Amino acid sequence: MVSPLVINSIAYSSVIALLSSGVTLTYMTTRVPNFAQGTLATISVYLAFTVAKVWNESPYLYQGVAFGFSGLAGLGLYYFVMRPLLKRAASLVTLMIATVGYDLFLFSIINIYADYLTDTYAVQTRKFNIGFSDFRFNAFGLGSNLPGIFLVGPLTVGILTVVLHLLLTRTKFGVAMRATVENPALAGVVGINIDLVYAVSWFVSGGFAGLAGLFAGVFLTGNPDLGIVLLPSIFAASIVGGLTNIYGALVGGFITGTAEILGTGYLALYVSTEILKYQSFVPLVFIVVTLLVAPSGITGVDWVRWRRRLESLLSSTLGAFERRLSRVN
Amino acid sequence: MSALADSFFIFTIDLLAFFALYLIVTTSLNLELGYTGVPNLGKMLAVAGGAFVAGYFPGRFAAWLFGVTPTLDYVNNNSQVLNLVSIGLQADVPLAIGLFASTLVLAVLVGAILGYIASFPAIRLREDYLAITLLAMAEGLRVVGNNYVPIVGGPLGVGVADVFGWIPVNRFTFLTFLMLGLAGLVLLYAEFVARSPLGRSLRAIRDNEVAAEALGKDIVRMRMRVLVVGSGMAAIAGAMYSFYTGAVIANSFDRTTWTFVPLVMVILGGSANNTGITVGTFTYVTVRKLIAFYKTALVAFIPFNAVWLDPMLLGIVLIVMLIFRAQGLVPEKPTFTLSREKLRAIILQKS
Repeated sequence: MVSPLVINSIAYSSVIALLSSGVTLTYMTTRVPNFAQGTLATISVYLAFTVAKVWNESPYLYQGVAFGFSGLAGLGLYYFVMRPLLKRAASLVTLMIATVGYDLFLFSIINIYADYLTDTYAVQTRKFNIGFSDFRFNAFGLGSNLPGIFLVGPLTVGILTVVLHLLLTRTKFGVAMRATVENPALAGVVGINIDLVYAVSWFVSGGFAGLAGLFAGVFLTGNPDLGIVLLPSIFAASIVGGLTNIYGALVGGFITGTAEILGTGYLALYVSTEILKYQSFVPLVFIVVTLLVAPSGITGVDWVRWRRRLESLLSSTLGAFERRLSRVN
Repeated sequence: MSALADSFFIFTIDLLAFFALYLIVTTSLNLELGYTGVPNLGKMLAVAGGAFVAGYFPGRFAAWLFGVTPTLDYVNNNSQVLNLVSIGLQADVPLAIGLFASTLVLAVLVGAILGYIASFPAIRLREDYLAITLLAMAEGLRVVGNNYVPIVGGPLGVGVADVFGWIPVNRFTFLTFLMLGLAGLVLLYAEFVARSPLGRSLRAIRDNEVAAEALGKDIVRMRMRVLVVGSGMAAIAGAMYSFYTGAVIANSFDRTTWTFVPLVMVILGGSANNTGITVGTFTYVTVRKLIAFYKTALVAFIPFNAVWLDPMLLGIVLIVMLIFRAQGLVPEKPTFTLSREKLRAIILQKS
């Protein structure tokens, strides 16, 4: 029987991994951290709510719709905000602030939609829980009556990772994308449509956020500020992953997500329940430690060098030990 | 007629109070973002820090002075303690003033320390890392304030010791003018910094980091200094806000109100220009207040709750300004060097 803590942690990590890989994708192409990523996900949180509460269907059937909805919102961010600013050669600081503006705008739209739902269907649209819409399944060896998110969340992350890897390494467009990431000007010279590459990256990033939002809506408490609350965790995962590596972001999502739910959960069990209150402090710790110890994230660390250093350290101490032993003898 | 005049008076006082509060915050943000190019997306950190000091220190200290603590706990019996304290403070005016002044000084110190701690991990890295870290730090402080009860009472909050009980006129009117005065001082200080050699160095760092470094400017140290000073300034706003509202609740310090709103004000008015940000702050505070005031009347014109007009406007104004008028309503002015005659006089004097 899997503990509910593990299930929650896996589901949460999947959400964070999806969101942080989206942030990383747009960071790699347009070189701007997207502060609206959380709210892009909130759009799909409300899609999940509408599907489950108003239409009485399973939110999982609408994964494609969620991908499209939030993806379009991401595309809107690119076309209406990023592209005009990039054309004006705006600085990094300006671009960052502009994503904050889009975040605020989306936040107001989501709230208006939530009010509309309340007025029209007389449903509670703030602090809602639609866990009932999740299916249950039995898995041999893991237990019975497990929530569907435990299966769908990691599965989606896995499938998307494979698809993304194939896209980036096996298709012409993927190669063009990587070329644009490496050197936009040169990519433009050889005839790559940089604008299209950027647009696709923002759409895909938004789409990832959409899937994350759909899953978050199913198992977290939904609220219009859910995405805003998740933002530090998203960035923590991206920074742990190195901010310029999508696979790093996925791994980072699972590291920070697990620490946030499972880590604090077990500490609460064995040390003090007070710790649970400081759950949202965990991403901050990850950001600080990563930036102080390895600013380029886990994918930026030269593991080979570290292994060599460790080996030489071990061999030298062992050698000294042996010499001492021989001297004693 | 009198009722109308009264409501107009309250409206104006409240408007001016928030103008003064936000002016302090935008001035500090302008020093960081406008002059130095440090995107402080964690402005809320210092504001909350200052507010926490106002909630933590004066009430406790006065309670200790008057000896009311042994029987009553400051957090659990907050209103009782504060009642006793306010009676004592009303009688002892110098103590009340001293307590207020020391709270402000302590708030500035705490704000500066918070600014140092928050910027430390990422100050050597690019602006985006710094912005993310500062944002996360601000959230972290809010989480601590909201959960660690001894600071400001956790989710329930605490009251702030009433150090203005001795004032014969309306408390809010007095505080508003006090805050306007403080805002003026802060603005004056920022203007002096901007016109000093330090101000020119800051602009050089913003415009061309490599060139500034080549000319021997210690970029990391300057950035850190600006963040420390800016955070200290913003902490004044936090402390004054708590004195004004009379209570501190950690969760009332959210990212939109104390980070993004000042950001919009700076961008709207014109960054790196203290006149500009004054205009921007006043414009935005007025618009916000008018929306709040005419909330019910607006229902006829917009198909949604007017509460959401505020974040929507914030977003639209921010994006439109950045795209179409990045220099703001009042653009940055070039710094003037000394006139030819003055320069000649100085040179002649020296030789």
